[in-house]
Amino acid sequence: MDGESFEGFSQRWKDFPDYILGITHEIWESRGLSTLNHYYADDVVMRFPDAILTGNQTVINGTMATIAEFPDRELLGEDVIWSGNAETGYLSSHRIITTGTHAGHGQFGAPTGKRFTIRVIADCAAKNDTIYDEWLIRDYGGMVRQLGHDPKDFARDMIERQGGPENCVKPFTPDQDIDGGYHGRGNDNAWGERYESILTRLMNKDFDLVAREYDRAVIAELPGSKTAISHREVDAFWLGLRSSFPSATFEIHHRIGREDPMLPPRAAIRWSLTGKHDGWGTFGPPTGAQVHVMGMSHAEFGPFGSSDGTVRREFTLFDEVSIWKQILMQTGG
Amino acid sequence: MALQGFDPRWQDLPDYILGVTEDIWENRNIHRLRDWYADDIVVRSPASVVRGNKSVIAATMATLAEWPDRELPGEDVIWCGSDAAGDLYSSHRLMCTATHSRPGAHGASTGKTLRYRILADCACRDDKIYDEWLIRDQGVIALQLGQTPEERARHQIASEGGPENCVQPFTPNNDVTGHYQGTGNGHELGERYGDIITRIMDAELSIIARCYDRAAQLEYPSGVQDMGHKGADRFYMGLCAAVPSASFTIDHAIGMAEDGRPYRASLRWSLTGKHEGWGMFGEPSGANLHIMGIGHAEFCPRGLHREYTLIDEVAIWKQIALHKG
Repeated sequence: MDGESFEGFSQRWKDFPDYILGITHEIWESRGLSTLNHYYADDVVMRFPDAILTGNQTVINGTMATIAEFPDRELLGEDVIWSGNAETGYLSSHRIITTGTHAGHGQFGAPTGKRFTIRVIADCAAKNDTIYDEWLIRDYGGMVRQLGHDPKDFARDMIERQGGPENCVKPFTPDQDIDGGYHGRGNDNAWGERYESILTRLMNKDFDLVAREYDRAVIAELPGSKTAISHREVDAFWLGLRSSFPSATFEIHHRIGREDPMLPPRAAIRWSLTGKHDGWGTFGPPTGAQVHVMGMSHAEFGPFGSSDGTVRREFTLFDEVSIWKQILMQTGG
Repeated sequence: MALQGFDPRWQDLPDYILGVTEDIWENRNIHRLRDWYADDIVVRSPASVVRGNKSVIAATMATLAEWPDRELPGEDVIWCGSDAAGDLYSSHRLMCTATHSRPGAHGASTGKTLRYRILADCACRDDKIYDEWLIRDQGVIALQLGQTPEERARHQIASEGGPENCVQPFTPNNDVTGHYQGTGNGHELGERYGDIITRIMDAELSIIARCYDRAAQLEYPSGVQDMGHKGADRFYMGLCAAVPSASFTIDHAIGMAEDGRPYRASLRWSLTGKHEGWGMFGEPSGANLHIMGIGHAEFCPRGLHREYTLIDEVAIWKQIALHKG
């Protein structure tokens, strides 16, 4: 297992990815909600772009509300990129495709019968069969669009519904963070370091590296359920994001690289941009609002068309609705 | 190490395939088709059988006149054979973008920028491609230009001079035997993929739940992006149901297990038989259909993880329309 052991978990699971895929299925699709009492720590800390939550009872209630609104929701695990050991704790960056029908009442209003398919990346720290620390991003912008809304309008309505800028649920910002107990930073595999370097340089506005570091047939799956193909479209995505927050601080929080049998070399990075919305870009006219963008990216590399290898697939998520919410809370938009 | 009999410029077969594609189409060295395509090459697409590099040059220029900014980035090259034996064979997947800038085979220019996938199988030796099987996603081209594949087929027949004179789609009747006689590399991944598709075509659709990853990402004709067991079932059930008694053959299978690349396979297959069921081609017409398919698959520890399959729906609707008269 690449020098990384798998200890402290029920023998039911053959490896750490098997555990992550298995409990996700059990909780959501087999309706083992009560198993969250076992699989999630009592004081688990979960950071979503739209809020920070603690405690497994909160998770159970949130899960129930989502299932009530989307009863046929499926979560299909696309990949598990992981690091760690029994001592530091294991960290799984789990990329999921989730789909469901808007068949019940909930935050999207009366049922519309519309279907959605979006990606989610969940970074979960686990020890002894239990998840105790978590960071999760859903492509909320993609979901909102597929259910017939616009992310900015949806954020505006949400603020109003939750009692205005003063009283509404605050999107996650670093000042609210709580120490959940996982302090790992990932591993030192070369592909993780390579991807960290690519993202760091991109956010340092070195956009011409796209032509060198990405395959010319690259496919990137992006927030808003958008797909970008080619250097041009990948460049447009990263440039559009950076251009909205040109002076923000870019940080890498967690980095994993992996080479596993059958699969291409992969990397998973959790990152953030923190600073002012003071430029024209993906988020419209600059407002000067203070924004925290929580981001996660997965990459697949390949030695194809270039001997050093290039990024051939990329999956990046941030939550557009939570970004708009931060902007609108401060500007009244 | 350079390929025996090839220009030393090419490092290996993928490099050659990617390189000549870019050089011909994007760098406009169309004349080099005289060097890189054999004089008597046979290019089979579901729409036609074209012989000789002169015809290929003419068709290439006609395409570029209509779509001058066409780009063809290669997504993958799955290959087998050897330069020494003269049986190198590449299955090339590419994602094409092009703007419909000038009038041409697709009518007056629309200014639309299209995106569509191509799967091209080429046999190569001595710096030349000498046998080819190619499928463009004509269904998604039609849809992006505002026509259904069926409408596009009818339009094509009319603009080519009617049923008697129009270009005849590829069927075993007009096939030309080329110089490549291989059937692949006998690799277990090719066999595994071939076995899955053979069972599906034999109506054992339950194989999907056993052999596909439940999060499988699927790219099918007409630009359809689907996923999971239900997604694979939707596509293959629709196809099988349309030609329930057709004979199915795997014509070529390659498997590759390389370091640093996903485990993967490519297949070229044919379905030949009567359109006698309701399925993806609507009301049964009784037409004799020949459906050439190419598929690429990537495997992960949980099964078939990504699949890219193309058939040319316009060419199939054309066969149906020609049968109806």
